[in-house]
Amino acid sequence: MHRRASGGTLAIGSGSAYANDRLALAAAMADSGRVTYLGFDCLAERTMALAHVRRRRDPATGQDERIRRLVPLLRRFLAGGGRVVGNFGAANPDAAVADFVDGLGEAGLHEVRLGVIRGDDALDLVRSRDADLPELGTTVGALGDRVVSANAYIGAEPIVDCLRQDAQIVVGGRLADPSLFVGPICHELDWSLDDWEAVGHATMVGHLLECGVHSTGGNFEDPPYRVVPDPHRLGFPLAEVTEGSAVVTKLDGTGGAVDERTMKTQLFYEIHDPRTYLTPDVTADFSQVCVEDLGQDRVRLSGATGREWPSSLKVLVGVDQGYRATGEISYGGPGCVGRARRAEEILRAHLDELLDPADDVRIDLQGMNSLFGDKGAIADPVEVRLRLAVRTESEERARDAAHEVELLYFGPAGGGGVVTSVVPALGVTPAYVPRELVTLETEVVTS
Amino acid sequence: MRLREIAYSRSGDKGDVSNVCVFVDDPADYPLIVERLTAHRVRAHFGGLVEGDVVRYELPIVHGLNFVLDRALGGGVSMTLRVDPHGKSFQSHVLDMEI
Repeated sequence: MHRRASGGTLAIGSGSAYANDRLALAAAMADSGRVTYLGFDCLAERTMALAHVRRRRDPATGQDERIRRLVPLLRRFLAGGGRVVGNFGAANPDAAVADFVDGLGEAGLHEVRLGVIRGDDALDLVRSRDADLPELGTTVGALGDRVVSANAYIGAEPIVDCLRQDAQIVVGGRLADPSLFVGPICHELDWSLDDWEAVGHATMVGHLLECGVHSTGGNFEDPPYRVVPDPHRLGFPLAEVTEGSAVVTKLDGTGGAVDERTMKTQLFYEIHDPRTYLTPDVTADFSQVCVEDLGQDRVRLSGATGREWPSSLKVLVGVDQGYRATGEISYGGPGCVGRARRAEEILRAHLDELLDPADDVRIDLQGMNSLFGDKGAIADPVEVRLRLAVRTESEERARDAAHEVELLYFGPAGGGGVVTSVVPALGVTPAYVPRELVTLETEVVTS
Repeated sequence: MRLREIAYSRSGDKGDVSNVCVFVDDPADYPLIVERLTAHRVRAHFGGLVEGDVVRYELPIVHGLNFVLDRALGGGVSMTLRVDPHGKSFQSHVLDMEI
C-alpha cells in the first residue's frame, strides 16, 4: 500500500512542462528523495492536434513519445513507491500505458499498477452538437472534414479515482495542466473535490508547478535588471503543500531562483481575471494570494481560494488549415533595409501571380518590425532579415511561395542565408460543452 | 523613465488572448503604475497588434497589474503567421513604456 502524506503535508514535484521538455530534470527530481509524487504536463494547445494527426497515420501512436526513454530514469523512484501522474496519453492514452508497461518490464519493474483515463476525446460530441467555435465565428459542422480532433479539458476526479485504486502511474489524455497536481494533493491530504476553497488552493500549486522551469528562473532574465545564478542549470520546482499554504522551492545544486519575483510572474501567467481562473475542477481565485519570500529559494504562498466548478468544459478543436510556408533571407551593410524592401516588392509581384486571393501572406523585416509592427523611424540597422509566411490550402502553392524566397539570391545585392520550410498548418480553437456530456472512464491494470 | 527600470513582467497566451502581467520591484512604486499604466495607454502602446479591448486587473497584494489583451495574437498561436505566435515578446514590449 502507498502511504498517506504524514502530518498533513504532501511534497510534489514537476516532471515536465511540455512534450519536448528535458527528461534529465525529471530524473533529478525523481532521485532527489524530496517528493513522493511527480506531475508531468506533456501538452500544449497544438500538441493534442498534432498527436491526432500522428494517430491517423498510425493507430498505434498519438501518445507522448518520450515514455520509453523516461521509465528507466524513474526506476528508483517507482521502486521506492513514488507515484507519477501525467497527460502522457495525448491522443491515445492506451498506447501510452502500453509504452509504460514495456518500459517497466525492460527496467525490471513488475506488477506496477497503472491507471488509464479515457473519454476526453470529444470529436463525436462536438460534431453531433454542431458546437460553436467562437474565436473563428463558425461552427464545427460548417468546417466539415477540416475538423481533425476535439478534446475536452478534464480534471482531477478521474485521477483521484485511479489513485484510490492504488494506481502508481496515472495516464490520461487532455488532463488539464493544474489538475495533474490537484488530483494527488486532494487524494493524499483527504480534501474533497467539492471543497472549492481547498481545490482552489491546490489549483494554485498546480499552476506554479505545471510550467516547470518557468517557476525557477526560466523566461525571466533581463540583464542587467533581472539575473539568476547558473541559468544553464535550471531545475524543476517542487511544492510542500499543506492546508491553506504551500512552500515552493527547488532542488539544492540547481541553478535559477525561486523568489518573490519568479513566483509572482508564474502565478499570473496565462491568467485573465485573477478572481475567475476556470479549470475543470474549480473557479479558482488568485486575487488574494500572498507571496512570502522565505529566502534560500523558498517562497510561501497562501490565500488562494475558489468557487464552484464551471458548468461547461472547454474543448480544444483541431482544424486543418492547409499548409504553412516560411522563408527567410538576410541583408546586411549600408542600405540593407532598402534592399530588403526591394526584395519584398519583387516577392509580392511573384506571389501575386502564384497565389490564390484567399491565401494569407505576411512579410516582415526582422530587426525592424516583425515583433511590434512599424514603430516609425528606426536608425538604419547593420542587418535585417526578410521573413515571408504564407498559409494556403495547396501544398504546391506553399512550396512555390517558399521557393520564391530562395530565388531572391538573384534579387537585390548581398541576400544570404536562405532558410525555407513547408509544414501542414494545424489550428486549434476552443469550443464549450456541458460538462455532464463528457463521460470519463478509468481502468487500473497491472504490468 | 522606462517601466523596465522599476518593474518586471510576463506574457502568456490562451487562444487569441494575451495576458501581460507587470510587477514593481519596490512596493512604493505601485501607486505610480496604477496611475500611469492605464489600459488605454497599454492599448495605444501595442497599437495594431491588438484588435480587441484591453482590460486591466489590479493586484494590490502583490503590487502588480494584469492586462488582458483580446484578439492580440493574430488569430492565436496555431493560426497566426506572426514571427512570435505566443506573444512571448509582449512582456518586453510593455517594459518599454514611458512612465
